[in-house]
Amino acid sequence: MQLPAPLEAKFKELAGRYPIKRSALIPMMLYAQDQFGFLGDEILEEIAKRLDLNMIQVEETLAYYSMLRRKPAGRYHIQVCTNISCMLRGGNELYQHVQKRLGIGHKEVAPSGTFSLEEVECIGACTGAPAMQVNYDFYEDLDADKVDAIFEQLQAGKKPKPSSVTAGALHERLPAEVPVISKRFGIPNSNKIDVYRKHDGYRALEKALKEMTPDQIIDEVKKSNLRGRGGAGFPAGMKWSFVPKDTSKPKYILANADESEPGTCKDRPLMEMDPHQLIEGMVIAGRAVAAHQGYIYIRGEYRYIIDIMDAAIAEAYANGYLGKNILGSGFDFELVTHTGAGAYECGEESALMESLEGKRGYPRIRPPFPAVVGLYGCPTVINNAETLSTVPAVILMGGEAYANLGTPKNGGTRLYSISGHVNRPGIYELPLGFPLRRLIEEVAGGVRGGKKLKAVIPGGSSCPLLSADEIDVAMDYDSVAKIGSMLGSGGTVVMDEDTCMVDVARRIMHFYAHESCGWCIPCREGTAWLRKMLDRFHGGGGRAEDIPLIDELAKNMLGRTFCPLGDAAALPTISIVKKWRNEFEDHLAGKCAYNAAEMIAGAH
Amino acid sequence: MAEQKQIAFTIDGQQVTTSAGTLVIEAAKRQGIEVPSFCYYPGLSLQAACRMCLVEVEKMPKLQTACTLVATEGMVVKTGTEQVHKARKDMIEFLLSNHPLDCPVCDKGGECELQDMTFRYGLDKTRFVEEKLHSPEEKWSPLVYYDAPRCILCFRCVRVCDEGMDVKALGVGSRGVLSVILPNEPGELACEECGMCIDICPVGALTSGTYRYQTRPWEMTYVGNPCTHCSNGCKTTLSVRNNEILRANNRDHSGINGEFLCAKGRFGFDFTTHAERIRQPLVRRNGRLEPASWEDALEEVARRLKQIHEAHGPAAIGVIGSNHTTNEENYLLNRFARVTLGTNNLDHHRTADYAGLATALGPRAKDSLATMADVYNAPAVLLIGNDVTQQNPLVAWQIRAGVRHHGLRLYAINGRPSKIHRQAKVAVEVAKGGERVALRWLATEQGQFDAKTTEALVQLKAALEAEKDVVVLFGAEIQGSAIRDLISLSARFGGKTKFMALGDYANSRGASDLGVLPDRLPGYAPLADASERARFGKLWGGEVPSTPGMTARAMMEATVAGKLKALYVVGANPLKTFGMAQPDRLAGLELLVVHDMFLTETAQRADVVLPAASTYEKDGTLTNTAGEVQLTHRGVDAQGPRSDFDLLRILSHQLGMLGLGSPIRLRTPEAAFDEIRQNVAGYDLSHANLLGGGSEVAAASCKAAEPSYEAPAGAVFSSQDYLFTSGTLGRYCSRLTSTNEAKETPWGSSPNIQSWWYR
Repeated sequence: MQLPAPLEAKFKELAGRYPIKRSALIPMMLYAQDQFGFLGDEILEEIAKRLDLNMIQVEETLAYYSMLRRKPAGRYHIQVCTNISCMLRGGNELYQHVQKRLGIGHKEVAPSGTFSLEEVECIGACTGAPAMQVNYDFYEDLDADKVDAIFEQLQAGKKPKPSSVTAGALHERLPAEVPVISKRFGIPNSNKIDVYRKHDGYRALEKALKEMTPDQIIDEVKKSNLRGRGGAGFPAGMKWSFVPKDTSKPKYILANADESEPGTCKDRPLMEMDPHQLIEGMVIAGRAVAAHQGYIYIRGEYRYIIDIMDAAIAEAYANGYLGKNILGSGFDFELVTHTGAGAYECGEESALMESLEGKRGYPRIRPPFPAVVGLYGCPTVINNAETLSTVPAVILMGGEAYANLGTPKNGGTRLYSISGHVNRPGIYELPLGFPLRRLIEEVAGGVRGGKKLKAVIPGGSSCPLLSADEIDVAMDYDSVAKIGSMLGSGGTVVMDEDTCMVDVARRIMHFYAHESCGWCIPCREGTAWLRKMLDRFHGGGGRAEDIPLIDELAKNMLGRTFCPLGDAAALPTISIVKKWRNEFEDHLAGKCAYNAAEMIAGAH
Repeated sequence: MAEQKQIAFTIDGQQVTTSAGTLVIEAAKRQGIEVPSFCYYPGLSLQAACRMCLVEVEKMPKLQTACTLVATEGMVVKTGTEQVHKARKDMIEFLLSNHPLDCPVCDKGGECELQDMTFRYGLDKTRFVEEKLHSPEEKWSPLVYYDAPRCILCFRCVRVCDEGMDVKALGVGSRGVLSVILPNEPGELACEECGMCIDICPVGALTSGTYRYQTRPWEMTYVGNPCTHCSNGCKTTLSVRNNEILRANNRDHSGINGEFLCAKGRFGFDFTTHAERIRQPLVRRNGRLEPASWEDALEEVARRLKQIHEAHGPAAIGVIGSNHTTNEENYLLNRFARVTLGTNNLDHHRTADYAGLATALGPRAKDSLATMADVYNAPAVLLIGNDVTQQNPLVAWQIRAGVRHHGLRLYAINGRPSKIHRQAKVAVEVAKGGERVALRWLATEQGQFDAKTTEALVQLKAALEAEKDVVVLFGAEIQGSAIRDLISLSARFGGKTKFMALGDYANSRGASDLGVLPDRLPGYAPLADASERARFGKLWGGEVPSTPGMTARAMMEATVAGKLKALYVVGANPLKTFGMAQPDRLAGLELLVVHDMFLTETAQRADVVLPAASTYEKDGTLTNTAGEVQLTHRGVDAQGPRSDFDLLRILSHQLGMLGLGSPIRLRTPEAAFDEIRQNVAGYDLSHANLLGGGSEVAAASCKAAEPSYEAPAGAVFSSQDYLFTSGTLGRYCSRLTSTNEAKETPWGSSPNIQSWWYR
């Protein structure tokens, strides 16, 4: 099959990018889809041929990823997010508005072929909610008028200007903030290597390569009490120290930038405004564990971020920070990006590796753990993009100094993306242990419109929700755990008194049912069953016995699923039924006190 | 293998000692403790997907999956706690939430793992009131149907197709609760049609096109028999209702094939009820074959055999035996030919040089023949010729399983590509028919090859010489002196070598072992040996003539020239086999008698056709290509046809009355088998084990290794059957031949088949 030249070049580059050909499968499909609008038989057979795959291997991989499609979409594929942060700020209403305007529904294509519509899960624009994507372009802080203006331009054949950077990432520094990894945010051209270098860039790498042994690097990271920023909070230094030293196998450094936890949008600005920081962190990690290859797995929706990262990587190669004999140290490190294609589950580290190997994103059985048997069966360090972005600062300021920014066992600072019903949704860097109350009231400017606070998701929708009387807690891993929730990914979602908690439970379950990979029974069936029940319940069809049943089914998933996704679906549900049971009981009367009837009917 | 470290742990209060690395689910099973599971399947990769096997482990906060949990020293496992029972109940409830519960019309009803688990562990009510997912059933091939709503997504089918079969025809589509199993072509399977996916499916999601909606499992009786098709001797369980075989499958995995069964064993049973089956004797009258009574037909055969015997002498009569008939029938045929008729013109289509191997090994055969289990267990296998994937599917399965489970090293030399080469450490593809030359090079370094082949051979030789215990498999490409070359080559391996000749049909080896050969008596006793002739002569109540007879091919040639006046064919189709279907053939014959199930090319030319029973319709024993003997049972009554055993026995009485030979007194196959056990070298087997459904290895061999035994040219050749053909019989297996894959041979020039076969 004759491919257009740019796609041919892309395919050639992808085919040579990985140690096994199959790894190129998902990127090839996505880039081919960008070219042709969908994936037809002919291009899939071509890809199969190039990668020595059977069609069934191609088809089953394609079928897993929600961005990949076998049928054409419109020239402009409109993706409206209605996940929790967007929902709280009018995402559902916006979605209805777009439906009406285009005259089409979910996954439908307008007859003209100009537009197609999809209600999508969290796109990482939580602090700019409600938001949508037109193809890969982000449009944030939307309302009906702004959407109309966008459509008018599109219909006129013009490209409306997408949001320049992640909405909420740039703001006046607040006194409470401690900018460490976000300190270059707002500096013009901070994604360029020259600017990066002017502001401490690559000094940590120089120090690590010239003044430190690999063990000293690991020690410094251990001392920093840097814990995983993806959600689980595992100490990074300890993770690195599990990588075997005596092995003939290659080792890998993986950056997990599959940011998809609803309410979380902090890796996006980190990579968009400071890509070199991540690169530097990865090279240092590579040096620490003697790995010579890194991959940055970036969710497929973040295409423009991938382009920014790729440009930064090219700059780093050109300036000797990547490649052979980095800074004359004799250390080699290669780095490439890798695009996902729409799967929350691929944020789970072992599922991410499967995905990077070109397969369905099913998690793997552990043990063995990735540090020993990871990507391509080789020892692998996999950290969240934010965790790795923190490494240069740790090396530069010293582990202890970094640790002292936070609380004991919870070193340093982290990015919080605070969204929902607050006056100043945004991304703020705060020390670990920062009080949640101050985060909401002081940093985010308090609850919008003078309303009362009802509930908070502390760190992404997988966390048990906190009620208004639980917010006097220090935001560190251990303190939040102590009150029965999790610090999670730093995606704090605030809900005011007018929020229907049954609707919140319903929307959260929709997400997990959509993202369940289908591997294990309790998650696959449990999330789907709960979604149906919560839809019925919120829609007025609830029965008294459903309330304990919802609670029990969630508990029946808890702790029994193959990977943490089952727990992630169960925990918020259990907490909502427990803390806002009265709202479930109120729904038994047949109507929702908070949502307009047409919004309930319109909910999918 | 190195001594395995032992560990001790506790399960449900019982102290258990087991080898390190044992999974808790397996250790529990050995203690008689059932830990339920759907996705766990021994021998396939672990899934931990169904979560049915959750158990409590002291000091672990969460329940653990027993299917992935390795027992460690001091571990305390509890499988019977309330928490565990609740978890099982909950998993069943989740599973049933989208299951259609159409058990009353589901094929699997009554033998369904989900039903059994629900009965044992499930709730007695449903709390699910939402609408279930539904999708229509899909026909993937004439043999395989998929019913997605019933599927519990245990992925056993996907794994067995990928890992077990190396076919990779199945995948998973969509995700989450919408996940389904996908066939490799849109809505259609392109595969080996082995049906392993059907067998392994714990529910009624994958069903058999030959069986679906026909009956309920409790209405049938079950008979486990060796498959009647290829030479591997897999056990297939015939499911019988009202004297009709409705299904064949691998019901209890009790055979030498473990869980394996291929398309032939599973779908190739409907020949028994084929419309063209001969159910009545046929006698040629006025040039046409016409139905006759058994009395008339047998009388006609006896009378005319007697006439020819008188007029032209015994040397004018030839007997061609079968690759499908039982050992007892072959034994009787031997007696019938040599003593009743007095001729050594006795042979069959030899599909591997079993006689060559037996004579080359001599008494060493006893511990030098490889069993099917040996192939699996071997650290290394050398495979020469034969496309085992197509021709010996169980052998191929054993090799694949060995590679997967314990790193078996496969070395292959072949004159054509084979799928099994994917498993090989070194596969040398030589010119067509070049296996013999390559072998000679390995043994003597003599011979010329192109650079690439030479390089591969050098590599192969070095690898082989580093091996110790090796199982050597060879097809019909290797015979006579080549087998001796092979044996001398194997002396260079550092350990014990075992051999297996790869033939084609269900009792190819039995026919050789029982002496359906012109120059060998049963057990490869040399005809030239007067004492052996005397021994069998005494046993059979007559004299065994000393002149060696003609080979089957020579007999067929002799029929043209008129040197042979009568030809007696039992369960064979020599006109087809020896490529002599032109009308002028057999011209010199005065009498052609054929025992068969169908009017084959040969039977159509016969003077008398006697309808014969298949191996599924009679009792006896069969010997697979490895020498493993198994009982076959009468699963259904052949309505009309008689067993070859009965036909030969009755005919001997008829002839006896006419004064030709003495009647055969052995009334039953059991009696004949007893006589075989006592008198045929290598067949002194335990009957008890056979009765229990097991197999016994028969190491038939002559008393001393012979330095120069050579089958005449053209006597030994493979019929090149593949997965969907089975000699003449295959044509009457309508289901087997109904698939797309069956329409072309894998070795043809068609690129079509290349695409499905070698993908």
